[in-house]
Formats: sequence, structure tokens, C-alpha cells
Amino acid sequence: MTMRITRTKALAKCAFAIAAFFALVLQPAGGQNNNAKSSPAAKVPSNGAVDDVTKSSASDVARTLRTAAEALGLARWSGVGGQRLPEVDVINTMEMWGSGTTYAPGPSDKPGEPRLAFKTEYHAAIGYNPPAMRVELTRTVSGAPQHTIEVVRDNFAWDESEIGAGLIPGKGVATPTMAAVSIRQLQLWTLPYGVIKAAVAAGDKAKLSTEKGATVISFPLSGQLADVIVRATLDPQNEIAKVETRAENPALADLNTETEYSDYADHGEIATDVKSPGHIVRKQGGHLLLDIKVKMLDANNPYLVFPVPQNVKMAAAH
Amino acid sequence: MACRIRFCGIIFATILLCVLPAAVFAQYGGPRMDHENTLPPTPVGPTPMTADGHPDLTGLWNGLADNLLGVPNQMHNVGIEVGPDSTRDIHSGAQIATWPLQNREKQNNEQNERAATLLRRMGSNRPIYKPQYWQRVKDFDANSNEEDPSNNCMPAGVPRMGVPSYIAQTPTYLIFVYPGQGGLIATATSYRMIPTDGRKHTDIEDLDGTWNGESIGHWEGDTMVIDSIGFNSTSWFDQLGGYFHSENMHVIERLHRDGNTLTWTATVEDPDVLLEPWTTTPRVALLNPDPKAILPESLPCSERDFAHVVTKEHH
Repeated sequence: MTMRITRTKALAKCAFAIAAFFALVLQPAGGQNNNAKSSPAAKVPSNGAVDDVTKSSASDVARTLRTAAEALGLARWSGVGGQRLPEVDVINTMEMWGSGTTYAPGPSDKPGEPRLAFKTEYHAAIGYNPPAMRVELTRTVSGAPQHTIEVVRDNFAWDESEIGAGLIPGKGVATPTMAAVSIRQLQLWTLPYGVIKAAVAAGDKAKLSTEKGATVISFPLSGQLADVIVRATLDPQNEIAKVETRAENPALADLNTETEYSDYADHGEIATDVKSPGHIVRKQGGHLLLDIKVKMLDANNPYLVFPVPQNVKMAAAH
Repeated sequence: MACRIRFCGIIFATILLCVLPAAVFAQYGGPRMDHENTLPPTPVGPTPMTADGHPDLTGLWNGLADNLLGVPNQMHNVGIEVGPDSTRDIHSGAQIATWPLQNREKQNNEQNERAATLLRRMGSNRPIYKPQYWQRVKDFDANSNEEDPSNNCMPAGVPRMGVPSYIAQTPTYLIFVYPGQGGLIATATSYRMIPTDGRKHTDIEDLDGTWNGESIGHWEGDTMVIDSIGFNSTSWFDQLGGYFHSENMHVIERLHRDGNTLTWTATVEDPDVLLEPWTTTPRVALLNPDPKAILPESLPCSERDFAHVVTKEHH
């Protein structure tokens, strides 16, 4: 009797193990495929950009964001020490260097006038906790270098005459540029890392769709960018290939942007397994704004700080 | 081949930063921080008091055992609180995206180490240096395999040495013992003898700069406050980050006992290099409950691996 019970238990265990094995093997690997298979697709009339929309549940969105976060190297865990912590978003600060071309309106800034193109060295210091970005551009204008440093942190924006200007009396000039807060914040949240973070923060407002066979995540931003809707398109590797932003308020047309990311790799001198796009092309209002090749990314949470100069705080208060 | 060389680099870097045996912590015994979260331990039991009415800090404060060695504790030390339902940065209050661990695939050592490096460095609580030093901090950090004084077996110094593993308290002195340890930083055994009568510091001009400086303690209510000056400029003041300082660094440590826990913080003032004072994340040590527990002898620190390091990957 005891033997029979033991054998029955063994068979049950075996059957359970086989069932579990097939359940795991047959489970689709990526969030993109999961979503396509888990819900029936509903064809809807569209302007041509959308050919296929899939209703998505919160779990579909969460699964897709996790897959995209893992593809980027943003969602990570470590077995060092044998702990069982969950995967967390490990990206706080990063620094990116690139070179390419930036564009600006022509002298008359009239529609149809050719844009001016400048050979540009690009350097961005990026922080998400707190949200901040310092973009340093060195453009070659008429053969001479023209250097600008644009900074945003939370709801403060300013230009620096040198890195860290305005923090110590007599050391450079920090010029408040509060009107630029939104457009500079938008750069931060439309980077692939920012898209994942903002989409997770959007919670139930984040939706999935399938357009031309690709997964698209749509969600609203928050705070000063609450009027902006982001649409992020994933490539077959679940990397963020395109990010479009649309402001619902026509007065905020400057916030209508489109950024394409490609050639993902770990571009760090010190490897981190964090991927970054190797090529970034950004448009604003349909016009080319920036086209750069990324030369290096330090994603190892480097020492980057963005203290707000006192005169910028005072300007914001008035 | 390139991959093998890189992998070897990881191995050697790991060995380099563990020149003292990690097995030391295993000998301490006692409970550890729950490795499914990075929450500090909940205090248990009464706080014993001395005859002169102060909390008794005496004890072996290594109950967490791996306060330098484990990724969860290192995340705790930089203010990343991974709880059962969410993750947040206790300094900024920022919520951090978290995904339950599932279908956990085995990562190789290289992937584990790279992830650990990111995890223990993701906190927002960073000292604000004067802008002219921002690049130097970054360079020290990026090249820490060569630049970190602890990698050459130098003392950690105050406040990098963190929470003492053993405290003996008399009416007039505190004795702190810090065993040599491997893991995040490699340090030799160190001790401090701290008068607690709140006496005046020696004139800074008469002090030779040292790793631990001149420390003088006093009680503020139930909190022991230790004020230290007179440092050399060789040490770094936090475990990671390349945070150098000048000889004018001033450190204020605070130790508060609550039951079987000891909370330690240090505030660093250095107007030569910092724009503003900086305070560590509170670190909570747990009393070792084993009445027979002792601090074992630490093996000598000996660096022999630099020649084999082939990448800049580091802790």
C-alpha cells in the first residue's frame, strides 16, 4: 500500500514536471509576441499609420515594458551574494558622447527655407534621480567652434558659460532660461531609458498597440509635460526604435518631436551591459534637429550632479 | 580570445578587491539582513543603559555580517530601499521601477558583477563638489582599480570605515574595532580610542594628518556624537565614488542605539572641495546575539593582482 502511494506520488510529480516544462517551453519569450498572441487584433480605420490595434491588459503592458527594460539593460538583478532581490531599474546617471550634425532655422525662419546644418560635437550628462540633463554642443560655425551648455533640473532650466557656472561667485555665468524647461525635459524623457521610466510611472495610462507589426507603447507624460503623449515603437529586439511626442495643446507645438534610435550596443569604455543607441536622429515640428552617431556611453551611474544656481532659483520664483 | 581576456579581467578585478578573505563574515554568525529586501532590521528588545545614564553601545555590531560584502546591504547603504512591493530612494523619495524576480536565468560571473556595480551605485545621495572637482571625482571613480587607496591595502579611514564592528564603552572612552575585510573595499584592521568628555580638539596646526584624524565624542541626549578633524588627504570618504577630500575635512558621526540595532551616520564638511556638507545614508548594524562571538584575526592585506587587470571594470 505504502509502495503504491509512493509510486502514485512519483507519477504525479513526473506529470507535473512535464506539464510545467511544456508550459515554460511554449510560453512566448518576448512581451511583443505575448501581446500579439494574447488578445485578438481589431482592425480599425486609420490614417494609414495604424493598421492593427491590439487591446492590451495592464499585465500585457507590464510584461512588454519589462522585456524592453531588459533588452536595454535597465532592468537588472545580480546573483552576487546569492540574494533574491527583484529586478530593479538600475539607471540613474549616464554620460553620452557623440558627433554629427545639428540643424537650425535659416536667417529668415520662413517655411520652406533650407535649414542650416552645423558639424557638431555632442556631450550629454543625464540624470533621472533627480531628473536632469546637461547638453553641451560644440558647433562649427563658419569654421569657428561655438560652444553652448544647456541644463535642466526638475522645473529649472539655465544656460552655463562653463560647466557648473554660477555656483561659485565669479566662476562663470548661469543664465536662467525657464521657458526652455519643457523642451529640455522632453529630451530626457524621450531617451530610451526615459521612455521606460515614464511609461512605468504612467501606470494604467500606458497602452499597447501593434502597428505595422511592431509593438507601440503609448502613454502621457506628467508634471510640466502632462499635455504630451508619447508613442514609442519597439524593434524586433524589443529595443526602442522610434519615439514620437505630440502635445495636445496647439500652443505647445515645439513639443511635437520624433526621434529615431538605431544601432544599439554597449558603448561603454567600462562595459555595463547597458545598451545605448549608436545613431540618434531627432526631428522637431517635422524639421531635422539633430543627427548624431554615439561614440561612447558611460552608463555606470557616474558622478554627475546638477545643483541649481541661486540666481536661477530666484528667477524661477519670480 | 578578447572575451576570455575581458572575463579574466573581471576575475582578477574581483580578486583584487577581495584581497582579504570574504569568508571572514561567515565566521561571525548571527542573523543577516533578509536578502529578499534591503529594509533595515526592526529593533528588538530594550536599550541597555550604563550606570551614568547613557545608552550602552558595547557589543559586537556585526549581526548583519555582510554590511560591506552583500549587494542588498550595499544598496541599503546608498539609500535604495527594496521592499516587498516597491523600491524607492529614501533620499529623494523617487519610486524606482521594480519587476518580480521570475524565470530567473543563471547569469555568468561577468553579468552578475556588472549588474552589482550598477545596483550599488544607483543612489541619489551624492556629495556636491565644487565644479572644478567634478571631473576629478569621475576620473578617480572610473579608474578606481588603480586610484582607490584601499586597493593598495591602505586604511579606509574615517568615515569610510563605517560602522565599527566592535564597541567597548567606558565612562570616559569608546574603543572602536574595525576588522580587516574584503569585498567592496579591502581594509586592514583598525581601531580608534575616542574620549567622550567633549574636550576641545588639538589645534589643527598641531595635528599631523592621519587616516582616522582626532576624534572626540560627547552625548547629545541618547546619541553619541563624535567630532573628528586632523586628516590626511589620502583616503576617500565613502565606499564608492572616488570621493576624495582635503586635509580640512571635518567629520561628525552620530551613533544611536535602539534595542539590538545601532544606527550610524556621518556628516562630511570640507569647504575646500565641497559646496555643502554631505551626510551618509543611515546605516543600521545589528547586535550579534551570540554571547560567544568574537572577532577573528584578519589576514594581512597583500596586493598582488594589479599586473593582471586588463579592463577598467570595477566595483
